[in-house]
Amino acid sequence: MSEFAKEEKIKAGLEAKFPGVVTNASVQRKNRVWAEAATEKLPEVLEWLKAEGFIYLSTITGFDEGENFGAFYHLSGHGMVASIKVKTPKTNPALPSVLPVFPVATSYERELEDMFGIKVQGLPPGRRYPLPDDFPTDQYPLRKDWTDANLPAWDAPAKEAK
Amino acid sequence: MSKITIPLGPQHPALKEPENFMLVLEGEQITGATVNLGYNHRGMEKVAESRTYIQNLYLIERVCGICSHSHTTTYITNVEELAKAEVPQRALAIRTLIAELERVHSHLLWLGVAGYEMGYETLFMYTWRDREQVLDCLELLSGNRVHYSINTIGGVRRDITAEQKAAVLKRIKYLEERTQYYIKIATQETTLLARTMNVAKLPPDIAVKYGAVGPTARASGIKIDVRKDEPYLIYDKLDFKMITHDTCDVFGRVVVRALELVESYKMINQILNNLPEGPIAVKIPMKLAPGEAVNHYEAPRGEDIHYLKSNGTDKPERLKVRAPTMANLQSVAYMMEGGWLADVPLAIAAIDPCMSCTDRAVVWDAKKGKKTTYAWEDLRKLGIEHYRKRGVDFTKL
Repeated sequence: MSEFAKEEKIKAGLEAKFPGVVTNASVQRKNRVWAEAATEKLPEVLEWLKAEGFIYLSTITGFDEGENFGAFYHLSGHGMVASIKVKTPKTNPALPSVLPVFPVATSYERELEDMFGIKVQGLPPGRRYPLPDDFPTDQYPLRKDWTDANLPAWDAPAKEAK
Repeated sequence: MSKITIPLGPQHPALKEPENFMLVLEGEQITGATVNLGYNHRGMEKVAESRTYIQNLYLIERVCGICSHSHTTTYITNVEELAKAEVPQRALAIRTLIAELERVHSHLLWLGVAGYEMGYETLFMYTWRDREQVLDCLELLSGNRVHYSINTIGGVRRDITAEQKAAVLKRIKYLEERTQYYIKIATQETTLLARTMNVAKLPPDIAVKYGAVGPTARASGIKIDVRKDEPYLIYDKLDFKMITHDTCDVFGRVVVRALELVESYKMINQILNNLPEGPIAVKIPMKLAPGEAVNHYEAPRGEDIHYLKSNGTDKPERLKVRAPTMANLQSVAYMMEGGWLADVPLAIAAIDPCMSCTDRAVVWDAKKGKKTTYAWEDLRKLGIEHYRKRGVDFTKL
């Protein structure tokens, strides 16, 4: 038995349950499991992990790695953190919503839409988060090619307050 | 009765951070609530990508004015993991000490805020007076009251002397006595009980469903505490209990925080009396090899989680920060539903969202198009009056 028995069990379970769907599963260190999942199967993978005791979706980290956008879904439970990575092409970025599995995901998914422009399929319409309502809708600040030079010039208030 | 929707926030003192709640009211009862966030977005994650690891340390400290140590500790734990650094035990012990002092100051602050929202201002005055003691400790140890800046990559910036140790222990002893008094108030004082029992209920299954963390979850009987689940720093060497409560209401949240204070004092004593000898910091290269790390931390409000990716330069490729309030807010929406308008400030304050400003709420009648402006004072008076009619009165004390 390796010293990371419970981590290896999760890793092996993921690989056995989702052959071809979960790839690159690894145990990074004690309490840390990383894996990549096929985008369209993401909700099922998370559902399985939830049943295995990862009852909290701690957060979703979106990223821009050049050719692809993607996100890490950080799940925690039993003191472990499992991070599931999914990718989506830059040309038409889209990810399935995980709301049916984790109702807590609403704001994290809105963040993906606002900051990266990744369309989250199945996320009900609602107010944007975290950018302000008047922020240009075609600009996504956490993309690597975005700088604040992209912002339109700020219009000073026409009149000074009296 | 016609339904009325009122916005609460984005600027509102019980909210502490600017956020907006849309409350659907039937009379004084809340039938629906939605949370809108993002008013305080400062673009820190983007900014972090253009700053070096050590510069980011000072940026990340400013994520929050209360859990400043929580965020930097989570961040540098990630940096040190990526640098494969062995941080000296003494540095870890000092970090743990500051972390527990921070928890004491945060919980005392919250106890005061809760007292204030109930209309129990004496409690507010008492706890905030006593909180000065722990702020003095932090100032004594780090030179600062709020942004301690004790952390540095590879260790801590200041060592603890014998005089400092004695001065901190003296103040903690005083706080221990005072906290016993607060516990007595929290569990026996009839007006406080009447004002907090069965207010803002959060059943355990709902707490898990909406991802509640920290004292909010523990007051619903959920055994979740990163210090126990995955001990970081030196928590595996400390003797302390995880405090939970099963009333699932504001009363439970008061009790959990009050009893956690006692556990924190215990830990502070243990750390100071068994401080390991040795250096307080090691050198860490400016550039980190490519890699990624995720670490979490039990901040005073719950689990704080950071993700960090390095790319071989001296700047991070991606940094993600999730503070505990974010996880607790969805539960607040649930807690308010079915409750009274007068309980709203208390329900929101009960998760201890991270306070900044004083503002107002506008109440409008959608049908008549009539608008009434409630200043914070009015809303507070409304809460106090509402309960006075029901026999809970602090003003006669």
